[in-house]
Amino acid sequence: MRDMIEKVIPEGVRWYDAVHVSGKSTPVSFKNNRLYSLSESENSGFGIRVNKESRTGFSYTNETGNAADAVRRAIAMCSYGDVENFTLPDNAAVTFEPYDNEITKFNISDEISCAERMIGDIKSVFPQISIDMGISSSTGTVRLINSRGVDVSYRESYYGLSLSCSYVLSDGTRIETWESRSELKPSDCSGLKDIVIDKIEKALNVEKTDSGLFPVIFPPQAFGRLISFIASGFSGVSVWKGVSPFAGKKGEKVFSEAFTMTDNPYMEGSPFSVPFDGEGVSASKHFLVRNGVVETFINDLKYAERLGLAPTGNASRGYSSLPSPSFHGIAVEPGEKSFEEIIAGIDRGIIAEQFIGLGQSNTITGDFSANMDLAYLVEKGKIKGRIKDCMISGNINELMKGDFTISKDVERRGSSLLPYCFFPAVSITA
Amino acid sequence: MNGKYSEAVEKGRKILEASSCDYAEIRLSSSVGTGISLSGENVDSFTIGESVAGSVRVLKNGSWGFSTFNDLSMLERFFAGAVSSASLVSPVEKSIIARGTSLRGEYKTEFKRNFMDVTPDEKYTLLKRYNDILRDSGSVQTTRAGYRDVNTQYTFMNSEGSFLSYDKMYCGISLASIAKRGSVIQPSHESISGYGGFEIVENKDHLAAGVVKTAVDMLDAEPVPGGTYDIIVDPKLCGVFIHEAFGHMSEADFVYENPMMKDVMVLGREFGPSMLNVYDDGTLNDCAGYIPFDDEGISPQKTSLIKEGMLSGRLHSRETAGKMNEEVTGNGRAISVMRQPIVRMTNTYIENGESSKEDIFSSMDDGLYAVDVIGGQTNLEMFTFTAPYGYMVKNGKPEKMVRDIVLSGNVFNTLKNISMIGNDREMFGGLGGCGKGGQSPLPVSFGGPHMKIKDVLIGGKK
Repeated sequence: MRDMIEKVIPEGVRWYDAVHVSGKSTPVSFKNNRLYSLSESENSGFGIRVNKESRTGFSYTNETGNAADAVRRAIAMCSYGDVENFTLPDNAAVTFEPYDNEITKFNISDEISCAERMIGDIKSVFPQISIDMGISSSTGTVRLINSRGVDVSYRESYYGLSLSCSYVLSDGTRIETWESRSELKPSDCSGLKDIVIDKIEKALNVEKTDSGLFPVIFPPQAFGRLISFIASGFSGVSVWKGVSPFAGKKGEKVFSEAFTMTDNPYMEGSPFSVPFDGEGVSASKHFLVRNGVVETFINDLKYAERLGLAPTGNASRGYSSLPSPSFHGIAVEPGEKSFEEIIAGIDRGIIAEQFIGLGQSNTITGDFSANMDLAYLVEKGKIKGRIKDCMISGNINELMKGDFTISKDVERRGSSLLPYCFFPAVSITA
Repeated sequence: MNGKYSEAVEKGRKILEASSCDYAEIRLSSSVGTGISLSGENVDSFTIGESVAGSVRVLKNGSWGFSTFNDLSMLERFFAGAVSSASLVSPVEKSIIARGTSLRGEYKTEFKRNFMDVTPDEKYTLLKRYNDILRDSGSVQTTRAGYRDVNTQYTFMNSEGSFLSYDKMYCGISLASIAKRGSVIQPSHESISGYGGFEIVENKDHLAAGVVKTAVDMLDAEPVPGGTYDIIVDPKLCGVFIHEAFGHMSEADFVYENPMMKDVMVLGREFGPSMLNVYDDGTLNDCAGYIPFDDEGISPQKTSLIKEGMLSGRLHSRETAGKMNEEVTGNGRAISVMRQPIVRMTNTYIENGESSKEDIFSSMDDGLYAVDVIGGQTNLEMFTFTAPYGYMVKNGKPEKMVRDIVLSGNVFNTLKNISMIGNDREMFGGLGGCGKGGQSPLPVSFGGPHMKIKDVLIGGKK
């Protein structure tokens, strides 16, 4: 690859770096309670970034044999780029690979049998239910090469299972719920069926609610969606653009002391870990918020230079786009109490599991307002039933300043590791 | 079109002729595109790139096999792979599909100015001009101005003898200003897109000027108090409303194997007032959801979904039509060759009613006029859609500006609560699109006239 690139690159180019990714996957899909399709996919692509006279150009292709044309296009695009004077790393070490050899044991027939058992078990409880499932195994290779001598590659493996149920009652009431897991190797996910059955059973009885301020528990997945609004303010991009509410507040205590949030590229078992980022900068755990105090803004080489900060190794990059800062894995530090202890202390409150339309508000500022797709009423520490046709709204930045309780139980959802979070007063409109 | 692509097309024809599957299709594409993204004073990216893609879908013994790849020279191998995937299991319940007629055609987007002939300099200069307008206020903190064009050669062929090609040209811009005062940050956004040439994005200074004005005006607006309101929606919000609150329910894949939904979605059931007429029309070639043929090789059509308030039709893929024994509608769509077609909308709208915009306003003593749209979502029973701003209406007149209007409701009740339909329908597209089944964004358009709806729930503090 280096020879091909350097044959095309003219004298006077300051630097270049290129990525080549390739991967294979075999997704299996179940729709409406039955096996629907089996797929295989094999794809690759090449992207190159060139810095000439301090300006950066970029291009990509996935047509095998056309990489040299992409290099020429990248060079031609340099004159449009902003001035960038950072230098690329001169070494990148593959300290580990987000790869588990067990992925080769993925067996489609076994997976299908297991999925059919899960569907059968759920249907035995709810005969009219409609279940979709997706099971996928994939492997890939990422190769990074640059003009300072870096030429490294690592393997990736991924196993994912998603289960999505739709239960329609005769009056048109719907209960939609889903669970998914992503792992490095084939894993037993059959326990998801029990979670889904439990969620639906608790939702069959509908309770009335009125408008007002209620104690609310957000389970890990729901809490993660709200936390992502805060996290976006910790990206070097939003700090540079001046739209982060936390810009200029490094070292200031802007949240409650009980809130600590990290970005962690080395989460146990997570297929989203990486040994280094898309520019070859080594990735490491960073405290975004420590005990309520703003600590680190994540960045890539470009935003580190612009902001005058040290690179954090957060460049994310596919073959068809320039690197840009993104989180490896958001983790909120757990608290002292278990979920059971938290719920036991609620006299009348709500568990907010799923939303419709969350994220369509002015999320930069932490605002949220959404319909409660799936939420439960808690009375005297017990779940009484579902509440629906109501909305929840507030501002997550403000909520994290005040009183809240974070659970000691944490769950990994995608790349994030999240606890339950309880707030004593959140606005509900019914 | 390069040699490898043409070779793959020829190979594909032969493979399909020799195939013994119940049904097989091959889709191939080759695209070249430009993307520019400006932000404040910066050029975030300026890229010209290319991509090729191929996929094979076969139905054998009632089971689907699908393969995707970017090395088109390996078409035979991936065709064999899809066949062996389909053969791997023998499903208890089999997929059946509606048969199509053999279609042949070469389609090409019509344009005034081919964007492939416009220099990168001119594209950049035009977008920079819009970006300068977006920045033209002391209250603007930053901006995002995006330009995208893509020219795709798309080939569809199947075992029924269909052979279709489409030289597609799609481009658009997306414009945003983010205004800031103290800790108040207000974004405003607008996007247009369509099939055609560079003329689609030229002469749009007024769009950029509108975006920056709205962002700055919103700094002074208060969030709307939560509660139940009578509302007037503008044509854009009307379009998103019908897309979210009803359009997705008319997609037959939510119905065809679900006995409970079949009961809910019985043709002839009353869904709204008798003045309500809703259509999906993939033949509108000036709208973002236009298709000359769907991704299963079926011609698009104008489908009546609600006629005079009654459920009158639904949207089908080959499979849902086959299972329900109804006619195909040309709504089997995929976001790219790499994905399997599923039932999707094209251009969905509420047809004009009798009322003028003035009549609608003068009928409202106390309510809310919701303007523009940020997004919408549905679970097929409840839906939300968000208007960035609006105006409190008193005695027929829009007065104080408010922001952050998240409207929510029950699909069935809200459609019945439509009380007036205007006569000023417009259609809207944009560089974004619709998401479903992990496939996003799919270009669609939506529209309608001004419309009044009673008793809509709006989130927020009282």
